[in-house]
Amino acid sequence: MIDIEHVSMRFNLGIEKEFSIKQAFVNFLSPKERKKRKKKEEFWALKDVSFHVAQGEVVGLIGSNGAGKSTLLKVVSGVMKPTKGKVTVRGVISPMIELGAGFDGNLTARENIFLNGAILGYSKKFLIDKFDEIVEFSELRDFLDVPVKNFSSGMVAKLAFSIATIVNPEILIVDEILSVGDIKFQEKSKKKMMELIKGGTTVLYVSHSLDSIRDLCTKVVWLDHGKIVEMGKTNKICDDYYKEQLR
Amino acid sequence: MFVKGIYNNFKRYWFLMTQLISRDFKVKYKRSVLGVVWSLLYPILMMTVMAIVFSQMFKFKVEGINYLVYLMTGIIMFNYFSEASHAAMTSVVENFLLINKVYIPKYIFPIAKCMFVGINFVLTLIPWLGVIALSYVGLGEYVCHFNWYYLILPYIFFCFFLFTVGVGLFLSCVSVFLRDVFYIYGIIITMWNYLTPVFYSIEILPEKLQFLMQFNPLFQFLNTTRTIVVYEQAPSLGTLGILGGIGIVTLLFGAYVFKKNQDKFIYYV
Repeated sequence: MIDIEHVSMRFNLGIEKEFSIKQAFVNFLSPKERKKRKKKEEFWALKDVSFHVAQGEVVGLIGSNGAGKSTLLKVVSGVMKPTKGKVTVRGVISPMIELGAGFDGNLTARENIFLNGAILGYSKKFLIDKFDEIVEFSELRDFLDVPVKNFSSGMVAKLAFSIATIVNPEILIVDEILSVGDIKFQEKSKKKMMELIKGGTTVLYVSHSLDSIRDLCTKVVWLDHGKIVEMGKTNKICDDYYKEQLR
Repeated sequence: MFVKGIYNNFKRYWFLMTQLISRDFKVKYKRSVLGVVWSLLYPILMMTVMAIVFSQMFKFKVEGINYLVYLMTGIIMFNYFSEASHAAMTSVVENFLLINKVYIPKYIFPIAKCMFVGINFVLTLIPWLGVIALSYVGLGEYVCHFNWYYLILPYIFFCFFLFTVGVGLFLSCVSVFLRDVFYIYGIIITMWNYLTPVFYSIEILPEKLQFLMQFNPLFQFLNTTRTIVVYEQAPSLGTLGILGGIGIVTLLFGAYVFKKNQDKFIYYV
């Protein structure tokens, strides 16, 4: 269960400038100017977003680039604290935001399975038990002892997907990952997702592919410039969104 | 309640901690023929160089004691502090990619670094004990006898570790906001090296400086260890209490600053 109440998220675009000597000097001379500029450089990535995801629901997030989808996922997974509002999450989260972020290129695939598994919060025993299953699913058995830096991006994605989906998480947060690997692997990963969803997992899903949203989601939230434009039945929202985009 | 919360959190992320530490080891010794042996060999070779430079070229010595053991004790302890605090300082910024994608308690990175360097430190204790043993057969003129006070050493090293973690947490936090700290700290650590009696004796300093030296925490740790190993005496309970105090207060301070600011890291890294 995820409960998002009046969540707003503010970024300061001027942060890079703020810490230079030149800027400190300017600030010192005219403090008023500083306040004004600060206001101008504020950017609200999310503005008063509220919705509820019940147990077992699959909620899709759509919207153009920069609409705040990924920020929302980060707020829910705990990477960022919202500036205003509250997020309540009940259950263990498995975040699949940007696969393979936890890989170390110098380590072999075998070593990375353990490292990345630990980052995702798996226990040692669990990883040892599931090791073969992960390797099997990733189709990378022959490359287990090769450093990941020598992998192609498709191989990295396959390995990362296999590690991330080995659990039966209560809540799954997915950011555009079904389009990894070759066609065969795409089909396989889609099937795996369906399995997880059928198993009663609550899912928050971001994608630009309306087809996969229609396939998977029970409810859709359409975001634009940090605000919710519309939410409700999958097909209706997708149709509206599509029409809006073509206009 | 509070302590239990920390304990549970630690337990939960312990596996990740071990993975991060073992990653550091694997990456450090990747493609080197001798591998982990370097952890032993490197301090021995370093020591040999330092010993030759200071005792033969500069003719440094401290009257009435084994200068080699005195020097080596100072160097391995100071090196631990300087390496661990430096690695901890850069750890949060280096792991930005992870922090930005997955929720992990951020304190794990500086602590894992302090532990990783700590394991290396424990390995350097082997050649260190070797040199002490060799003093029996004439290395460095005076014999340093092994004694029962050695049992206090783990306590001293543990306090030293807490102190280092505290400094590491503080530095890693500040450096997120102010990258200049990377450079400033390099200068500070060099100054600190010369202001701490690592290779000289405190007695060669003017009296005023000797008094001020009491406020140098590194001096306290080095001095207490040397009291046991080089001077073969028991440190006073007061001194041991002070070491514990330094360790705990520094740790709490570092942890407080870190906790207070950690939610803002994500905007700055």
